[in-house]
Amino acid sequence: MTSPTLPIETSRLRLRTFAPADLDALAAYYSLPELQRYLDWKARDRIEVKAALDSMCKDVSLNRPGDTISLAVERKADDVLMGQISLRWHDATAAQAEIRFAFNPAYRRQGYAAEAARAALDLGFNEFDFHRVFARCDARNSTSARLLKGLGMRLEAHYREHALFQGEWDEELHFAILDREWLRSPKVHEFSEHRVA
Amino acid sequence: MPFAPNLPIETERLLLRPFTRGDVDAVFAYRQREDVARYLFDGPMSYESCAEAVQARIQQVSLAAENDRVTLAVARRDDAVLVGEITLIWRNVASQQGEVGYVFNPVFHGRGYAIEATRALVELGFSGFGLHRIYARCDPRNTASFKLMERLGMRREAHFHEQTLVRGEWTDEYIYAVLAKDWRGQSASG
Repeated sequence: MTSPTLPIETSRLRLRTFAPADLDALAAYYSLPELQRYLDWKARDRIEVKAALDSMCKDVSLNRPGDTISLAVERKADDVLMGQISLRWHDATAAQAEIRFAFNPAYRRQGYAAEAARAALDLGFNEFDFHRVFARCDARNSTSARLLKGLGMRLEAHYREHALFQGEWDEELHFAILDREWLRSPKVHEFSEHRVA
Repeated sequence: MPFAPNLPIETERLLLRPFTRGDVDAVFAYRQREDVARYLFDGPMSYESCAEAVQARIQQVSLAAENDRVTLAVARRDDAVLVGEITLIWRNVASQQGEVGYVFNPVFHGRGYAIEATRALVELGFSGFGLHRIYARCDPRNTASFKLMERLGMRREAHFHEQTLVRGEWTDEYIYAVLAKDWRGQSASG
């Protein structure tokens, strides 16, 4: 495993590593109730957001299971930081990664999250040769569930009360897709020409 | 505070008891079999591996920390013959999650020993240990195993596709689960 070829550009986005200067943009959306509802990391005040950002600035390569690559998602037109996406080399099993993402609600409904997710799946399957990539979301988070399904991911698990989340029993969905399923998808060919650093 | 269940546990026809060194032959009898090992993570086991496993199990009679397990021999009460093994693993402390596992000797299949033993183990997990949710996993090709989970009243919560490499082969996995409140509901209605 290595450091990927970055930044990644798609038709409208740039996926790049994080930098300390991203603090304001990050703080703008981390604190929003819509995100706090489903985020499972602490980031309620500026100090916690800075801690999260410091950590993400170091997530630039995958050297061993458990490592994460965290990418800031910018709009190329105006360099606005709209959200983030990450790939974590899942530590329990070989050749598997988890994809996670969070976007500022101000930039929703324009397909940015899906575009970034497709680039991240390309990265995971084509550059890192993962066999399987999965994503988790709360069963009540229909926006995320719809996005994951739209990527061609398959709903593989629906857990009930298998973990406490923010003090309440959760209901969690797992979506997943295999390398051979992603590479066959026509969407991949549409975007492959955009995988240019 | 460790949870040390009162052992042995008696069911109608079975004794669920700690392992002893004398159990190695009986365990080897089924653990060496290809048909038993086919859908398990370890392949068929050698006598030495069985002896080591049994030795470890002698201590596995209480739950003190996350990922501790209680592993019990399942023996017939009338003739003391060892028919299989069952395990309860404390998978998550904060969310009180447990996992059950079991392996039975095919020679004794078809008599309902597996359901009798696993039912007692799940009951121990909920009533004795206070777990919130108990799950079990198997290869989807292992029909006998997931049929047992269904008879226990577990719900299939996951079908993972090619999630694990088992002895060089990408393998699917089923996860079945039951919540304490559903289990109690089952017993209440008989």
